[in-house]
Amino acid sequence: MFEVRDNEPEYALLKDPDSKTHNCYDAPIDMVAAGDALHDKSLNINDDSGVGENPNRYKQHGFYFNADNCIACHACEAACSEKNDNPAHIAFRSVGFVEGGTYPEYRRLNISMACNHCDDPVCLKGCPTRAYTKFAEYGAVLQDPDICFGCGYCTWVCPYNAPQLDPIKGQVTKCNMCVDRLEVGLKPACVSACLGNALDFGVIENIPEGRTQAETEIPGFPRTDITQPNIRFQQTNTLERDMTRVDSTAVKYHRDGSGDFQSTLDPKHGFKREWNLRKLRSREDPLVLFTLISQMVVGTFLLMFIGPMIGLEHLTPAAHSTTYSALLFGLLGIESYALFISTMHLGKPQYFYRAFYNLRYSPVSREVASLALFYNLLGAYTLLVTFPFVVTDWFGMSEATLASLSNIAGWATVIAGPVSLFFMHSIYRIKARPFWNHWQVLTSFYGNMFALGGLLVGMVYVSVLFAQGHQFASLLNVAAWLMLGGLILEAFGLWRHAVDMNKQGGEAAASHYIQCSEFGKTYVTRNSGLLLSIALVFIFLLVSPTGVMGLSSLAVIAIVMLATALIGRALFYVLVTPTTMPGAFFWKNKGFQEHARATGLAEMPQVGVVPDSH
Amino acid sequence: MLFGRKQKNPIKIADKGVVEWKYAACGYCSTGCSIEVGLNDAGKPIASRGVADADVNRGKLCLKGIFEHELFDSAGRGTEPKMREQWYEPWQNTSWDAALDKTHDEIVRIQEKYGRDSFAIISTGQMLTEEFYTLGKLTRGLIGTNNYDGNTTLCMASAVSGYKRSFGSDGPPGCYEDFEHTDCLIAWGSNLPEQHPIIYWRMKEAQEKKNFTLIVVDPRVTMLAQNAHMHLAITPGTDVVLMNALMHVILDEDLQDMAYIEANTNGFEELKAEVAKYDPVTAAKICGIDEDRIRHVARIFAKSKAAMQIWTMGINQSTHGSDGVVGINNLALITGNIGKAGGTSLSITGQCNAMGTREWSSCSGLPNYRYLENAEDREEIAKFWNVDPEFFPKKRGMFQTDIYHAIESGQIKGLWLIATNPLTSLPNTARIRKAMEKLEFCVVQDCYEDTESAEYAHVYLPAGTWAEKEGVMTNTERRINLVKPLATPPGQAKPDLWVFNRMAERFNTDGKVSFPERAPDIFMEMTEISKGRLADISGMDHELIEKQRGIQWPYTKEQLDKGEMPPAGGKRLYTEDATFRYPDGKAKLIPLPFIDNNEVPDEKFPIWLNTGRLIEHWHGRTKTGKIGNNNKYSPIPFIEINPDLANELGIVRGEYVRLVSRRSDAVVMAQPTQRVAKNAVFLPFHFFDCANRLTLGLLDPHSRQPAYKQSAIRIERITDQVEAARLSMEMRKF
Repeated sequence: MFEVRDNEPEYALLKDPDSKTHNCYDAPIDMVAAGDALHDKSLNINDDSGVGENPNRYKQHGFYFNADNCIACHACEAACSEKNDNPAHIAFRSVGFVEGGTYPEYRRLNISMACNHCDDPVCLKGCPTRAYTKFAEYGAVLQDPDICFGCGYCTWVCPYNAPQLDPIKGQVTKCNMCVDRLEVGLKPACVSACLGNALDFGVIENIPEGRTQAETEIPGFPRTDITQPNIRFQQTNTLERDMTRVDSTAVKYHRDGSGDFQSTLDPKHGFKREWNLRKLRSREDPLVLFTLISQMVVGTFLLMFIGPMIGLEHLTPAAHSTTYSALLFGLLGIESYALFISTMHLGKPQYFYRAFYNLRYSPVSREVASLALFYNLLGAYTLLVTFPFVVTDWFGMSEATLASLSNIAGWATVIAGPVSLFFMHSIYRIKARPFWNHWQVLTSFYGNMFALGGLLVGMVYVSVLFAQGHQFASLLNVAAWLMLGGLILEAFGLWRHAVDMNKQGGEAAASHYIQCSEFGKTYVTRNSGLLLSIALVFIFLLVSPTGVMGLSSLAVIAIVMLATALIGRALFYVLVTPTTMPGAFFWKNKGFQEHARATGLAEMPQVGVVPDSH
Repeated sequence: MLFGRKQKNPIKIADKGVVEWKYAACGYCSTGCSIEVGLNDAGKPIASRGVADADVNRGKLCLKGIFEHELFDSAGRGTEPKMREQWYEPWQNTSWDAALDKTHDEIVRIQEKYGRDSFAIISTGQMLTEEFYTLGKLTRGLIGTNNYDGNTTLCMASAVSGYKRSFGSDGPPGCYEDFEHTDCLIAWGSNLPEQHPIIYWRMKEAQEKKNFTLIVVDPRVTMLAQNAHMHLAITPGTDVVLMNALMHVILDEDLQDMAYIEANTNGFEELKAEVAKYDPVTAAKICGIDEDRIRHVARIFAKSKAAMQIWTMGINQSTHGSDGVVGINNLALITGNIGKAGGTSLSITGQCNAMGTREWSSCSGLPNYRYLENAEDREEIAKFWNVDPEFFPKKRGMFQTDIYHAIESGQIKGLWLIATNPLTSLPNTARIRKAMEKLEFCVVQDCYEDTESAEYAHVYLPAGTWAEKEGVMTNTERRINLVKPLATPPGQAKPDLWVFNRMAERFNTDGKVSFPERAPDIFMEMTEISKGRLADISGMDHELIEKQRGIQWPYTKEQLDKGEMPPAGGKRLYTEDATFRYPDGKAKLIPLPFIDNNEVPDEKFPIWLNTGRLIEHWHGRTKTGKIGNNNKYSPIPFIEINPDLANELGIVRGEYVRLVSRRSDAVVMAQPTQRVAKNAVFLPFHFFDCANRLTLGLLDPHSRQPAYKQSAIRIERITDQVEAARLSMEMRKF
């Protein structure tokens, strides 16, 4: 058990003589009923089989933050990092601030935040490996870094930036509520270290001595309806109408008529349209390729399998058996590559199989499982179509059985493909990331599926037919219609997305603002590329060029479409503005982190910014 | 286990494997916190925590203390003595004997050739008191230069000078417990939450219990100013005017404590005549605080049962620094707020042992507030040390700031720099650099070999740091606390005390003067000459100090013999009538005419430059710049600039800007914030080749402390941001 000194100061001791039965969200504060089997189990901290004697062991605990008092002295952060032996770039707790007013009537509001050990921990649900557990003990949400394989999905879904992805160790770690201290009746290290008498801790809803409020929100704190966080606030000093962030995020907090602060757009970088093509690169580069390739592969297969049924004779396996098989193997090949790079993008790729651990809750698990199914079915279909003799000759099955087998495999693949893309889209429907949390993700993914699928089938078959001297107009016509449909679907989604983001305000509008300013020229280029693609395909359909003309115009369209898709998908990843708490001027400021990486400051470990590895 | 996996691995929580906790007083600021450093089974320091039963910090530490164990193997530690003929040649490792002989020979050569005072010694507020005492004995008793000072001239000289002028002696009269008894606290140019976080916590604890009025005088909206009952956003450099105006109101409205004044002070009439000139209407126009507020503050302060004032560099680092301290003392004296619970004028000191050097280093005189100017003091110490009293100079020599000017102009030819880095810390870096180049011989003794000043050294002596050594330190409230060695200096590095003793051997060939080897023995020697002095420590020894988690002086042999244990805290000076240190026991009320000699912004340099500290950094960053969990909160220099000014200049958040003063320029990142006035910027001074390239540092006439906080600059937008970033990074070795 954690060593308790004989003379631990009063402020470090937990004191919750009484507590309420239900929290403000009407959930019981007792995590489990008395006599439950979960009682009196050891937390097994570092293999210690002791059981803590904390009288409130099975009650939900939480932090209490008196924002009137925080002076941003960083003692909480330091105590946390000292206890958890964290290097400079990892922080389970961080202090950021917002400010408002005009000199000398200026007011700064500091916010110290760690994990809120939420009632509804989205990290736990999102984690594909089930590295997270919400414990009956203290209601602590703990994460096991040994199970974690470093996908970082929890860092996307958490609205508070609590899970910390360490790119060096390739795993996530987070606040552990100092359960070792709780077991022996001590408050967490950060609370005990607080020098402003701002931070406190206890059974949730309990208001510490000398405090009066137990609010669920303060300006700068993300919305609470996503996870029902276990943190309560006091904030009584009157704040300015506008409280601005000092980090680079284009968001401020504006007091509305009811006195509540809403996050709104703060166009702090001006409205100059820039390219910033280099900034399109990010840690998520592999996902740009992975998603686009998978969408193309699914789309291609859909057209290959369904094409013959709508009269595209050329697309029957028999018509061009070598091309058909080669294309199938090609699809398997590029999908293998896509799966490979997305796996290597994990912090610990050797544990890729853990992606299946949380089918019940995690969209990542569902995506991986359904995509794996699609991939395997595609493989089975490919083998059945390419090597029918294996079935007929070696296993002695009839041609009819073979036909129905490949038919079953084909239909199953046709279903699994779009289903996996649906789950792929669900990954991004994250409430804490409003820019992604829009149906446009689905239209984009399905739009690309059609557009890139049609394109690939068109390119391959047109080349083959052209080489063989055949006509390809009918095939190309269908492929082009498919491309047109996909492109229009994506364009429509993007248009509605832009409108909705502006309407939604806050972080959504901030993302759109960055899209229009920092990446303004890139954004215009992508949109033009999309419109150009639509126009070119439309003209193509009207003119129906044949021969060399047809082939080369298709090649031009392909270049425009692929470039547009790449830029568009890269923008999708770099533009997202999460609803996290505000940063400081250097620490937890995305703008400074980018600067430190670009200039090489990040090479000094004491700067606390991990250099780029991509 | 409500959700999540059924089969769980054991919960892993970092266990650093501490097997033993060792005691030390913190080596950063003057708050004087007690730390326990955790050692693992290999004896390596790996953790820090506050000592729970220490009265000062009661278990708390600030972020620097929390990571203080990382100091020992931080980058840039010196491990070998080094020598070279010229400063621009490469270093050669050498032996301690060779390095010390060379140093000794050069000191002798320079003194013989140019005179005794042509070799200067500049020490610090960072060492332990026994080391200060030993260095003082060596310097005053054997080397005999009168140009011997500490870098405390840069931080506390004005407080020392002001205390001496008002009370007849240095020595802060109050204590932290005063927060618990006060009804009104004025903080003059002191940003406690950032500069002295633990003192702030003590104040906050007291304030939450007893909501006393907090008034903050600061040109910048610090967290303390923001949370105060009243924030007086004063025009830089005009504190004395505000003080005079406050006294004007108090005397005008007859709110003074006449009984106290009569029993305890001289000079009341002269003071009254001077402050009569500072009616609030006139004063308001100079200091920028409206007349109503001046009257209101004066009334609250004077009518409070107990009223207390604290100050830090906002007062000290000014051309009126010493006057500012006297003004604070005047205010306290006329309202009877000295020596009583909650009524004090408490200088919040800077470095961990600035107080120790004030008391014991002999920089400005002789040990324990004895004066060179006083023949009795000279006799007494000469006899005690067994040296010729005539060897002592009859008045104190130059201050650190003047020493540098004398190096520049050629009167001083040799320098021994100990645990200080003037190339970062002195104003007007260019001038300091030029002076350093001129030295015939410079020896740098420091725990870091990568200090910028070592660049100009001929000999480098690697020293131990903080708890690699043994000895005591005195904090802001006159509490002597113990540092015990819990690590050994790296490589060949040695504790400063060892270095002084080895150097002393070379000057003390006839063995006349005794230099005890062990810190506890030196401490006992010090207790001998403290008997009957203001800072009487004769009841203390190392063991008792550790047991009590520090003891406030005075604590006498008589008290010890009577079995009277030292109190946990709450010890004050001047608690009885007429016990001040002037011969008649009365304090002086000194009139303070105001002369505006600041470098005030003008057309060419229209912006006030205010320099100051950040919580995460310690002085020249040689320590904290290398500890990621401190440094990351501000890894590069920046200014706080008013957004309206930034807009006018076309400066965008996060861009680099060029600051230009009449001295030189600096490149820093811009952080627009309404925390500062539109005609002022705030620039942290911690960074090498930055703030002090710009500062003028006019010297206070009494304390010779530089006015770091009042300079004029202009700000230029930088078009080539890439080059600016490169330049800024190039200047950051750490």
